Order: sequence, then C-alpha cells, then structure tokens
Amino acid sequence: MKSRIYLPWNSSKTRLKEAEDARKNRLEIVQALSWGQISRRELIKWGLFTAAGALAPIKGLNPFISSAYAEVPTGAPSSPGLIGLEFTQPMLRLEVLPRNPISSLNPAPMAQSNQTLQRVDPMLGGSFGPIEGRPPGPNWAHQRFAKLPPKVAMEVTQEGAKTNPNGNIPFKFHPSLPAQGPLAMWTFNGTIPPKLVLGRYGEPILFRHHNKLPVDVKKNGGFGCHTISTHEHNGHHGAENDGYTGAFFFPGQFYDYHWPIILAGHDTINADATDPMAGSPDDSGGYTKIPGDWHETMSSHWFHDHMFGYTAQNVYKGNAACFNIYSAVDRGNETIRDGVNLGLPSGSEKSWGNLDYDINLMVADKAWDSNGQLFFDIFQLDGFLGDVMTVNACYKPFFQVEARKYRFRILNCSVSRFFKLALSDGSPMIQIGNDGNLLPHPVVLRELDEQGIAERYDVVIDFSRYKPGQKVWMVNLCEHEDGRGPKNDLSLAEALSGNSADPCVGKFLEFQIVPCTKPDLSQVPGTLIPNPDVSQIPVSRERTFEFGRSNGTDDAPWTVRTDGGQGFAADFNQVSAAPKQGTREVWTLVNGGGGWDHPIHIHFEESLLLARNGSPSNVPPWEQGRKDVYRLHPGGAVTISIQFREFAGMFMEHCHNTVHEDHAMLIRWELDRGPVALPTPVPTPQGVKFTDPNILPTAY
Amino acid sequence: MSRKSSMSIALARVVVLAVLTSLSVRRTFAADNGSPWGANYFPNVPLVTQDGKTVHFYADLLKGKMVVINFIYTKCRDSCPMETAKLAQVQRLLGDRVGRDVFFYSISIDPERETPAELKEYADKFHVKPGWLFLTGEQSDIEVVRKKLGQAARPGENGLTGHSTSVTLGNEETGQWMQDSALDDPSYMAVMIGDWLSSWGHQSPAPSYAEAHTVDADRGSYLFRTRCAACHTIGHGDGVGPDLFGVSRFRDHDWLARFIATPDKMVADGDPVATSLYAKYKQVQMPNLRLGDPDVAALIRYLDAQTAKTRTSARSAGQRLPEN
Repeated sequence: MKSRIYLPWNSSKTRLKEAEDARKNRLEIVQALSWGQISRRELIKWGLFTAAGALAPIKGLNPFISSAYAEVPTGAPSSPGLIGLEFTQPMLRLEVLPRNPISSLNPAPMAQSNQTLQRVDPMLGGSFGPIEGRPPGPNWAHQRFAKLPPKVAMEVTQEGAKTNPNGNIPFKFHPSLPAQGPLAMWTFNGTIPPKLVLGRYGEPILFRHHNKLPVDVKKNGGFGCHTISTHEHNGHHGAENDGYTGAFFFPGQFYDYHWPIILAGHDTINADATDPMAGSPDDSGGYTKIPGDWHETMSSHWFHDHMFGYTAQNVYKGNAACFNIYSAVDRGNETIRDGVNLGLPSGSEKSWGNLDYDINLMVADKAWDSNGQLFFDIFQLDGFLGDVMTVNACYKPFFQVEARKYRFRILNCSVSRFFKLALSDGSPMIQIGNDGNLLPHPVVLRELDEQGIAERYDVVIDFSRYKPGQKVWMVNLCEHEDGRGPKNDLSLAEALSGNSADPCVGKFLEFQIVPCTKPDLSQVPGTLIPNPDVSQIPVSRERTFEFGRSNGTDDAPWTVRTDGGQGFAADFNQVSAAPKQGTREVWTLVNGGGGWDHPIHIHFEESLLLARNGSPSNVPPWEQGRKDVYRLHPGGAVTISIQFREFAGMFMEHCHNTVHEDHAMLIRWELDRGPVALPTPVPTPQGVKFTDPNILPTAY
Repeated sequence: MSRKSSMSIALARVVVLAVLTSLSVRRTFAADNGSPWGANYFPNVPLVTQDGKTVHFYADLLKGKMVVINFIYTKCRDSCPMETAKLAQVQRLLGDRVGRDVFFYSISIDPERETPAELKEYADKFHVKPGWLFLTGEQSDIEVVRKKLGQAARPGENGLTGHSTSVTLGNEETGQWMQDSALDDPSYMAVMIGDWLSSWGHQSPAPSYAEAHTVDADRGSYLFRTRCAACHTIGHGDGVGPDLFGVSRFRDHDWLARFIATPDKMVADGDPVATSLYAKYKQVQMPNLRLGDPDVAALIRYLDAQTAKTRTSARSAGQRLPEN
C-alpha cells in the first residue's frame, strides 16, 4: 500500500514552493519523456528513473508513488493565498429566495411540459426546440397538479459567477482572494451566498429553474456540464419533479419543478386531516390541519444537480442550495406554545420560518488553481478531495453568536469527503435531527458521528455556557488520504494539534460569543417526532443491493448488484427494482468492496434503519429516526424499511460520493401501478425522445 | 541518503530544469481550446497498433477526436471478451462515424506479452471494423496512460484480472470526458458518445413520446439482450459465436444448460462439443456469465420461443430457414 501524505498546512512558504516546483517538475518530466524530448536512459543516468521504468520517489517526481511533497489531496498544488486568512471574514448566511405569486410566472405553469418551440442555438444543433426541458406527455405531467396546485412561485437561473446585486456581494471565498470567473463557478442566480428556500407543508411550490449556462460546452473552465437536472433531496414528490438523472435540460430552457410538500401517508393515514399534530403553519401564529402521517414530517432538505455523469462536477461547481420545510411541529418559532410546536431555537418575530437562531451550514471542501479559480480533477476517479474548508462558500469564517441556544442545520455538500464534527472545547452538542428529520429523542454528543456526503445533521448548541468575548470553534476530526473513504477519525486533541497531514482536519468555523439581545425562550423537548409505526404493515418484498466490487474477477469498483444478480454500472435505461404502490419493503444495502465507504442515497421516501450488520442493536441512537442517506462503512451492511406511497415514476438509488455515482454507482428503480416500465427519456435540445427500458429480472 | 547521491539528485534537478526550460520555448503542444485536458495533460507516448504502426497517444489518437478507450488483454477469459463484443455492438450502432470522427482504442494491459499480430487476430475474432485500434507498447508508457485516465491498477490489485471494466468516453476538442461500464447497454453508450459528446450536432434516431412503449418484464428476453446479443443472433447468422436458431432442438437439454451455465469449465474439461465449438469460433471463450439455474431455464425458454417465432414469420415470408 502506497502512502499518500498531505503537505501539512502549516508548512513554511519555502516548503510549499518546493512542493509546487516538484509537482511541476514531475508533470513536465513525464510530459517531456512522453514527447520523446528526454530519453529514459538519460533519466536513469540522472538517478530519477529506475531501471524498471518508474520515476524514482524523489521529491514528488514519481507519477505512481505519491510523495511527501507534491500530493496534496487534490492531486494538484495546494490552493494558494490562504495564509493568515483564517477566521478573518464573517460567515455569509444563506440568501432566502423570494416567494412570488404563481401569477408572476410567464408563461403560466402547466401540468404537462410546455412544448412551445423556440430557436435553438447553432452550437446545440440549431433548428427549434421546446422552451421547457421536462419530457413531454402524460407520463411526465405533474402528478396531482389539479389537486395540489402550486401556491408559491420561485424562479431562479443557473448561471456563471457574478457579483450579487443584493448587497453587492462579490463572488469570492474570502475578500482577499480573487473573484471566481463566470466559467469557474455556476450557481443559482450566479451569485453567493448559496440560496435557501423556505417552504411550508401544505403549500405547494412551483420552482422554475432557467438554464442560463454557456451554450458552448467548451466554456466550462475545465469541468462541469451545461445540461442540468435539479434533485430536491429527498422530496416526497412525483418522479417528474425528482431531478431524474436522465431528464436533464439545456441552456435556453427552463424546467418547472412542482414540489407539493405533502406528508407521506397523505392518502391512507389521517386522510381526513383531523390529527392536530399534522399541520401547515399560517401567518398569524396558528396552523391549518393537513392530511398525512405527522410522524413523516421532514425539516431540512437541500437540492442540487443530478446530471448523468456530471453530478460531482456540477454540484462542486455551485449547483447546491438548502430547503427548510416548516410544519406545525417544527414551526421555526421558539415561543409559540400550543401543545404541538416544539419551540426549537429559531426566533419569534414571524409566526413561522424565523432564522435568527436557526442557521444553515453548508460545509464543503474546495480547491483552487494558481489563479485562485475553482479546480477539479475529472480523472480522479477514486473520489475528489479539496484542501480548503468552506462554510456557506466562505473560507474558514467566523460567526457571531449570542450566549444562548442555536439550531444548526449542517449539510455535508462535498464531493467525496466525510466529516466528523466536534467543538474545540469538547463541550456537548444536542443532535435533534438526522437527514433533516427530527429524531424521536434528542441525543447529547461530544462528537457527532461521521457525516457522509449529503447527510444532514441538525444540532442545537447552547452558547450560554460561554461569556461574551469568548470564542469556540467547530472542528473536523475526520482525516482522509484519498476519496475512497475516511482514513481515520482523530481525537479532538490530535485534530487540534495541527499534526494531521490533511489540511481539512482541525478548526474551520469560529464562533464569537456576544451578549444576548433578549431572553432565550427556546427549548429542546425530550420527545421530538416519534417514528411512524410500521409494525402492522406487511413486508411485501425483501431486496439486496450490493455496492462495490461486482463479479468475481471484475474489479470495477462502483457497481450496484441487485439481489445477487450481475453487477451493473449506471445505465439509467435499466430498471433494477419495481416495488408496488402502497407497499412496504425491506432492503439490505451491502458494501461489497473492501476499504471503500459509500453513503447510499435512496430517493423518494424516508426509511427506518432496522439493523446495521444484521443487528438492530448496532443502530446508534442518532440513527434511530428516519433517514435517506446510509453510510455503509467498509464491509458493512444496512437494513432499512421503506414504503412507497402517493407518487409514481422512475426514481434512483446511488452512492452520494458523487464521483462514484458519476462513475456508475447508480441504479434506477421504478414505482408504478402495474408491471410495465416507462420509456426512458433521451433529451436533446430539439426535444426529448424516448427509448425502451431494459428491465432486470429482479425488478418485479 | 548518502551525501553523494543527494548531490547527484541536486545536479540532476538542475539538468532537468535546464532541459525543461529549453522545452518551454519549444512547447507548441498547448491545447488550443483552453481545456486543461489537452496536450498539457495527456501523455504523447508511442503505442503500436495491431498493424504494427507506431502512433503517439495524444497527437495521433486523441487530438481533435471523439474517443472510446478501454483496457484489455487478449488472454482474458472473463470480462474482456464481453467488453469487446459489447463495444463491437456500439461500433455497429455508430456505423461509418467510427473512423471518421469517433475512434475506438483498446489498449493492452499485458503489453510485454502481447504482440501486434496477437492483437490483430483478437480484433478479427470480434469482427472489428476500421476506426478501432488495438494497441500495445511499453509497459511504463501504458501505465502513464492508465494513470492519466484514472484507470491505474490500485495497490494490491492483480494487474490483469483485477483490471477495471470501465470505458472512457471523451471529446478531446471540447474537453468533455465521461466514464461508463463497457458491459452496459450498447445502444445507450452509442447515444452518449455519438450524441451527447458531439454537442447534439448528431442525433441517433429514437422514438417520440407517442411511438415509445413500455416493456414487458420478460426475464429471458432481458437476459438475451444484455448477455447474449453481443455475440449471438437467433436466425440471423453467426456473430462472434454461433447462430442460436433451433439450438435447443439439436443439442441435448442438459448439455445446453450446463454449457450456458459454465462454458469455461466445459472447455477446460475437454467436453468434445464444447472444444470443437471453441475451435470453430476462433478460440473465443464464451465467458462464464454467472447465471443461476432459473436464469438458464428462462434463456432456454426464450430461445425456444424465438426460434418458433422466427420459423413462423420466415415461413409466411417464404424464406429458407437455416438447417441444423
């Protein structure tokens, strides 16, 4: 096993320079060699080449043996320009997207895709194509559009980085770093801060997403694809609104996503909307009762690109945003006491959706090149790691907190990196949610569990134990040496020592304590949301999915094998499972590949963890709620109970290490009313075509 | 490290830097498309084609082209024949574009043992058409290529049997690169390389919403399409392997079931029919597809049903049927 060591972050400038030189030399020697401009014999003579034909491991000159000098986790020179910038800028809060009336949308949204034609740019083949990229016809019409008509419109673009006109915020990871160019980063509205949708149960949203990315595929700054598909992770919506990986849309088009925001069990549980626990907050401090199972209430979502083959690049490039969902139980108001609202830290000015003490943290590792522009290595197929920690697109910021309780909705939105979070003084945090779902009971932890890509941990931190003027830091304990999975979880002392070779270990967010402006009336009740009772629902089918090494001698690391069949890589034309509407199944997800870890995401409904490695007692308290991403651990297995209700269509299940996902660790499953598989959409700028699906024998 | 050797390394560094400085003025190979994935990234190592011609990886094989690249070794009895057969299907689907703007490269990962002549013989077995090169070369050069494409063998993996079945799809000119499994649906791969990576300037024919249909979940049909169709037809003549029209009538049922399940073992054990087939079809070993008994039974049922169907439609069209 080769050792791959990072350059310690506190290295001297000389050493950093030396490393960069070594890296350049390595590349240039390999290139010079490959162009026949240096002979192998000369290199052997110089001692840089072994007779066996490999460059000797000297100061990073060997392309096969990683060296102590050159291989930072990105596989490129360290991201420059950061010395002295830690904790010198305030953290940006997410920018709340405006909530507009549906009448603001022109053209008006339609149940079926709007196939009105427009001219297509010659770079995309010319001629004419539909204005909406959603596949046409009844199979792709918004399900329940008439019954659950949209009430709120949100309209965004995807476009290249630019200064945010709201507040004149330049697109920079830090005020002292260069601005990102329009080809380096592509975000919602082309700006930072990252965006936040505030939604309520019972209030359907029409999310109109315009693609304003360059028509020229070459204009991508080295990575990213200009076709996109937006996945509301983990919305209980129809498949036409799920951001299906093969239902992408083109520059010049829009896609209307209809997010009905209903409770799962809408049709069968509390269908007459009499349960006082199931409700949609109103604007005057009360709430309206809604159908469905309130035990399925979700709170912290996010949405991001799901383009086939390019998800990692596009999400890394900025196609990621957060979505807080409010309910009678989780109201976003800490003072209302009506026997239903939990009163979690948030604020009290508005009747719902207060963000004063309810903070979204999008944590991600990034890297940039010598010009300070975002960098990604598209050939790093183990998984891509950055060497710079960012929170809400800010390099290691500080955040002023009052000496009181705060709720943090922490999202790991990196490409391949796992985190493990703690406070620098080792004091406790209260985990209240996992994957955006409030737990049955809060769990007090001094260190959170490892947090895989796309997992969301909601925690409450009580800063009242500190005095104004004090500081405390959020620390990452999880050390990587490559993108296959975590290498080590360090102790807090080790992580703080600065000895880790991984530059993303250690402090990354500074909390500066300031006095309270008013008394803290928020609370964290001992019971939050009990789990839905599935004990009376029969299990109609058990399935096994094995992620990883597939068939004996076939070592393709990222495949999904269904029910012991052949391992297949991603082919979204292939249906691997087809559960029946209104049933419950038990799925076991197995990590078949040694040494790798895979955070597996199943779209559509939240699941309950029944067992880890076959035993219910292996499920830790903070995973005893509902989840939608499951870290398998190397060699591990997770057994879950999942239900299929209300909506139909083609959904997915995949590894959320998005490099693995793009490199084919993705399968399609389909939910419908009978044993047929839907034709697979094949988008083109001139309109969506279709192809017959392949169905695995295990599907039904 | 001794003082002497560290000095010689320091000296070597100076020499190398001097060489590189002189190179930098002569460096005319920068990518002109602004993509970082051009001449500055890909090695221009020499490789040798199945016809014995020396070509350079970047300048001759990648520059300005759309490419499909995988790594094989001809003695592979497992996934490589299936990969090659599937890519041959992709080549047929892309038609005369292969060799014009799309190019296929299968690069040997066993170059010290594989000669151009062996690669040529291998290509012929799979009815490979022009535009698809089988390449060998120096081991170290090929390792650089694998490394750069993210396909290097991992530490601890067997270099040959442990190789990845990934296929790299790329358009050097636009800087777009994707990964897929060579074992996936060939029609889908043909769309990815032929349409997506050519910026939709070309579009494969596909049905509209009204023309497309849902599909029955027939196990045998699915297995035949995904496992067999790369090498076999039913009534349309020999491919890499024999035409399977009527196969269940002229072969003993148990023999057929055993052969479908474990063709590798049957050949190794010297079964007379299996070995004669192996010889007749140019020593292409049918891979062990790891099918269970229900899969084998479903396939035989499917072969029967398709034979009957082909017979009926051929009779009504007045065609002569293949005799067995």
